[in-house]
Amino acid sequence: MTSSVIKFVWNNKILKINNPDPNETLLNFIRLKIKKTGTKEGCAEGGCGACTVVLVELKKNNLTYKTVNACISFVTILQGKQLIIVEDLVNNNGSLHPVQKAMIDYHGSQCGFCTPGFVMSLFAMQKNYSSYNNENIKDSISGNLCRCTGYRPIIDAAKSLNNKSHSDKFVKNKKKIINLLKKIKPENININNRSKKYFAPRTISELKKIIKDYPNSKFLSGGTDLSLIVTKERKDINNIISLNSINELNFIEKKNEYIIVGASTSLREFELFIKKYYSDFNVILNRYGSVQIRNVGTIAGNIATASPIGDTLPLLLSLDAKVVLQSLNKKTILPIKNFFVSYRKTKLKKRQFIHSIIIPIFKKNIFKAYKISKRIDDDISSVCASFNLEIKNKKIKSIKIAYGGMAPIPKRATNCEKILINKNISKENIEKAKKILEKDFKPISDMRASKNYRMKIAKNLLMKCFMEINDNKLLRLN
Amino acid sequence: MSKNSFINEKRPHDSASKHVSGYADYTDDISEPKGTLHGAIGWSKKSHAIIKKMDLREVWKSEGVISVVGYKDIPGRNDVGSVFDGDPIFPTNKVEYYGQPLFAVAAVSTELARKAVLKAKVIYKTLKPIITIKEALKKKKFVLKGIKIRRGNPTKAIRRSKNYLKGNFTTGSQEHFYLEGQVAFVIPKEDKDLLVYSSTQHPSETQQIIAKMLNQKSNSITVLVRRIGGGFGGKETNFMTSSICSLLAHKTKRPVKLRLDRDDDIIITGKRHDFYSEYEVGFNNLGIIEGLKIKLASRCGISPDLSGAINGRAILHIDNAYYLPNVQVQNYLCKTNTASSTAFRGFGGNQGMMAIENIVDNISRYLHKDPSQIRKNNFYKKNKKNITHYGMKIEDNVIQEIFNKLLKKSNYKKRYSKIKKFNSKNKYLKKGIAITPVKFGISFTTTHLNQAGALVHIYTDGSVHLNHGGVEMGQGTNTKIAQLVANELGLSFEKIKISSTNTSKVPNTSASAASSTTDLNGAAALDAVFKIKKNLEKFIKKKYNIRNIKIFYEKGLIKFNKRSFKFETIIKEAYLNRISLSSSGFYSTPKIYFSKETFSGRPFLYFCYGAAVTEVTIDTFTGENIVERVDILHDAGKAINPALELGQIEGGFVQGQGWLTIEEVNWKDNGQITTVSPSTYKIPAVSDMPKKFNVEIFKQGKNKENVINKAKTTGEPPLMLAMSVFYAIKDAIASVGKYKKTPILDAPATPEKILMSLNELKNRFNYNRH
Repeated sequence: MTSSVIKFVWNNKILKINNPDPNETLLNFIRLKIKKTGTKEGCAEGGCGACTVVLVELKKNNLTYKTVNACISFVTILQGKQLIIVEDLVNNNGSLHPVQKAMIDYHGSQCGFCTPGFVMSLFAMQKNYSSYNNENIKDSISGNLCRCTGYRPIIDAAKSLNNKSHSDKFVKNKKKIINLLKKIKPENININNRSKKYFAPRTISELKKIIKDYPNSKFLSGGTDLSLIVTKERKDINNIISLNSINELNFIEKKNEYIIVGASTSLREFELFIKKYYSDFNVILNRYGSVQIRNVGTIAGNIATASPIGDTLPLLLSLDAKVVLQSLNKKTILPIKNFFVSYRKTKLKKRQFIHSIIIPIFKKNIFKAYKISKRIDDDISSVCASFNLEIKNKKIKSIKIAYGGMAPIPKRATNCEKILINKNISKENIEKAKKILEKDFKPISDMRASKNYRMKIAKNLLMKCFMEINDNKLLRLN
Repeated sequence: MSKNSFINEKRPHDSASKHVSGYADYTDDISEPKGTLHGAIGWSKKSHAIIKKMDLREVWKSEGVISVVGYKDIPGRNDVGSVFDGDPIFPTNKVEYYGQPLFAVAAVSTELARKAVLKAKVIYKTLKPIITIKEALKKKKFVLKGIKIRRGNPTKAIRRSKNYLKGNFTTGSQEHFYLEGQVAFVIPKEDKDLLVYSSTQHPSETQQIIAKMLNQKSNSITVLVRRIGGGFGGKETNFMTSSICSLLAHKTKRPVKLRLDRDDDIIITGKRHDFYSEYEVGFNNLGIIEGLKIKLASRCGISPDLSGAINGRAILHIDNAYYLPNVQVQNYLCKTNTASSTAFRGFGGNQGMMAIENIVDNISRYLHKDPSQIRKNNFYKKNKKNITHYGMKIEDNVIQEIFNKLLKKSNYKKRYSKIKKFNSKNKYLKKGIAITPVKFGISFTTTHLNQAGALVHIYTDGSVHLNHGGVEMGQGTNTKIAQLVANELGLSFEKIKISSTNTSKVPNTSASAASSTTDLNGAAALDAVFKIKKNLEKFIKKKYNIRNIKIFYEKGLIKFNKRSFKFETIIKEAYLNRISLSSSGFYSTPKIYFSKETFSGRPFLYFCYGAAVTEVTIDTFTGENIVERVDILHDAGKAINPALELGQIEGGFVQGQGWLTIEEVNWKDNGQITTVSPSTYKIPAVSDMPKKFNVEIFKQGKNKENVINKAKTTGEPPLMLAMSVFYAIKDAIASVGKYKKTPILDAPATPEKILMSLNELKNRFNYNRH
């Protein structure tokens, strides 16, 4: 039940890679090994989308199509999936896929270098939606940068797909692909290539065994941050343990008054689930990063990375979420506000991993979240703010406020909370609360924002939150 | 006359089907011969320092490394400066910017090469760097002596004017962020010859610079460019990558590919010049400028590169579309310890135009007048007030027509009053609107660069091989020139084979730049076609014994004297009769001349005009903003391919919008650049596109000059249409001071700058009220 061979489907065939270098990126594999050069490297950090490919997974006898950034995926991601790259969209007789045709007809390419990535994002969009509007088009291509066109022709190309048939060779080959994917039996992957090891266990008990033997391994849960060690720092990662194949960690459910999210649940799945309970959470996740990132990135990864600008963290803090930590012999539950220790340091110990996150559902509360960044799409916050409060008879009964981008760790504004609790929403009280934020936070200046600006918007977002509550309407752009 | 079957046709880009299917080859996609090595560059971690010791032993020992090169390996000129020296390939003892190349490695794979360069041990003696324009001005550090130009008597005119304003203004730098980074692939051939594939806008200069570096003749270097993944000026003089790659190939005698990763690309290569200006202006009660004195300083980085020409174009565009009777410009080209600032779409013109637009906007706000009216009041007129400050008579002025038409079409007046109503009702979200004009001069301002060559062959089967000196970088120059050639020969577009730009086919070319690529190379290609047609005519007349009969080329046929032959038939016959079916072509732009000494003449063959109206909403809590609607009317003359021109207009606008809003290059005080990848440097993404985007080509447009098809280029000019975004934001800010005070806002108008401007204005407004 353990294998060192990565098996995947490409071009209607099962391909095998024997004991690959676990640090090899999917992009290098495509360009250098299978020697298809349509997939481009634009940034090697998942920020431009030129390397977008589609991975197809078998789920409940159906196929799901997901875009990923090949530049920050390791080749091991292919295990048990179908790989589709831009060249694969061309039919055997040389005729083009409807998405490709639309891009030509609407003049969606100029220099053409970003084009394969856009084609793949639109191809996945076509597979995931039945009709295409501004919202799902923009979401689908928000992780693809184009420096030439200004995007209008690409959006028009996407819209034109509404009038085209959804049928293509992938629809026709669906059964064949399902059968091929079924042939690849689920296995624990255990690679040992020179000094580098890679494990993708399928069960928690298997995972524990590996952790015991290799306590200094890096966990891969999506890997959108982890892979940068290789692509940007140019270092090797010697031992990688992937959490992505463990079904026990891939779940999301509502239990009583809680939402429980497994560690390897993708942000994409999470954002769809959370929308019903906290719509602002969904809004922030839409701007968290591109679809390519959200398709593989996980909420546990975001927590474990513990970045001061991780966008889900202030939200989870204000929602009083709990982190379920699993060690070799026990589970511990830790309030998330105690989880972050210092800059990118957490309470996570050796031989311990995040099992799941518990998010309480506050039925009576108002929940608001704001993300401020230079760019709307796929940008890192200057400041992210989250407010969770209960108001009764015009008084603040309970309040939890958290900020990202204001301190070395994502952090609750405890002084500010104290000053507001049991108070009326008055101009005077808000002013006091704004002032005391200076006691809660000492932000820094960097390329994204100055400390002055950070403090100003932190205060203004507090005010905005209360103005929205007072006026009972959203004061948002768009 | 042949029928205009391919002209004015909305034909897709000639490579579009290859773009969308992944089969368009860029330099990194060219398959490598066995034994190809891969390069990486080791660069300075200090912005200004003496290199005390550079220990590369660990680099040599690193896995997969075959060779390491430094300045001692350069047999010839150790500089890639195009006009002036100042850009050493590897400095000998002193580094002048963070990111300056120090050495390079060739290894068996890109990954191993990149790992190896990190193992260098460099000991520096740090010197104090100069990073900002203001520091350089204070310390009088310049890359070139700045010129001072004057028309009339601005001092006197300002003194006599009813109104007076002074102030300062900054526009920011900008990273090109072409999606395809700098890359070169060099294959050594016999006799030390090199075959160079390079992602460059300038094959001929690449050839010359490599030749000089290797102390060889230009005829030993051949440079090929099939297409590049965007250039925008960033690949005009960036010869570092191809030179280093050639040096590695020269030393190892093996093919070498050198592709910069995104971070290295941004760190090593130069960007747009940021500009700082100080002005004094005198004007009458109609807002008409009577006298203007302006100091124009730019951050040039460590070397002159193209800074002289870029600053020159800034001075030439300090008028935008406005008549300046008395004007003085003093220019400063500041030397800083940053990568050498270089060409970027607009080439200084946009920086000059932003400076005057800021002044005109401030005049409007000072007079409490609608800025659109003050802009109109200052426009050049047709029969008077039509001489520029550099003595060129404007003969093709259509700015008033375009401006008035757009005001009407966009419903500007009505929307402005609606916006004011909205702003009086809404406390936190504010709207703003602005219309700005564009007048942009076309031609290289260095007159001798305005020349181009082409080579056209017709093979015996009637197929046509087209080659010219222009580089395809997304603008569609190959498509448009092939359309012209197909049209002239009466052939279907598919019969024309577009081929790589190649220094061994067309020599001594100018860069694909200054918006002139199609104007120049298209004319040269047609010249070649005319010459072949002349040969054919002579042959036909002789063979069919006809005289003074016109010959028509259409739909694959050659027709004369009521007879009609297949194109292929005549070509075959011509061949058998020993007629030349191949010709070079040449073009040089007429009429233009310019004296750099007196800063006068006719630097431009013609002007491009356009205007844009932008409406924005800003969030006064955070400074965030959204572009609600943009209306553009732009003059493309008689467009050769309206679809491609539209693409240039829209794309140029959004690129300009990025420059003026979210794109911000950041350097630390020690000179380290911190915006080095898409995670830290933000170019517009899909949600930045205007929510409503109405773009129209000016239908009455026609080039008055003798330019192919009477077209007007759309390369750079549309970038400046985005000025309207900046002034719409400024207008929204002004609303919090009830339009009574002038906001202070520098570019780029990031959310942070907007919020700070709002706060400053609110304080000033409240202070004055109490």
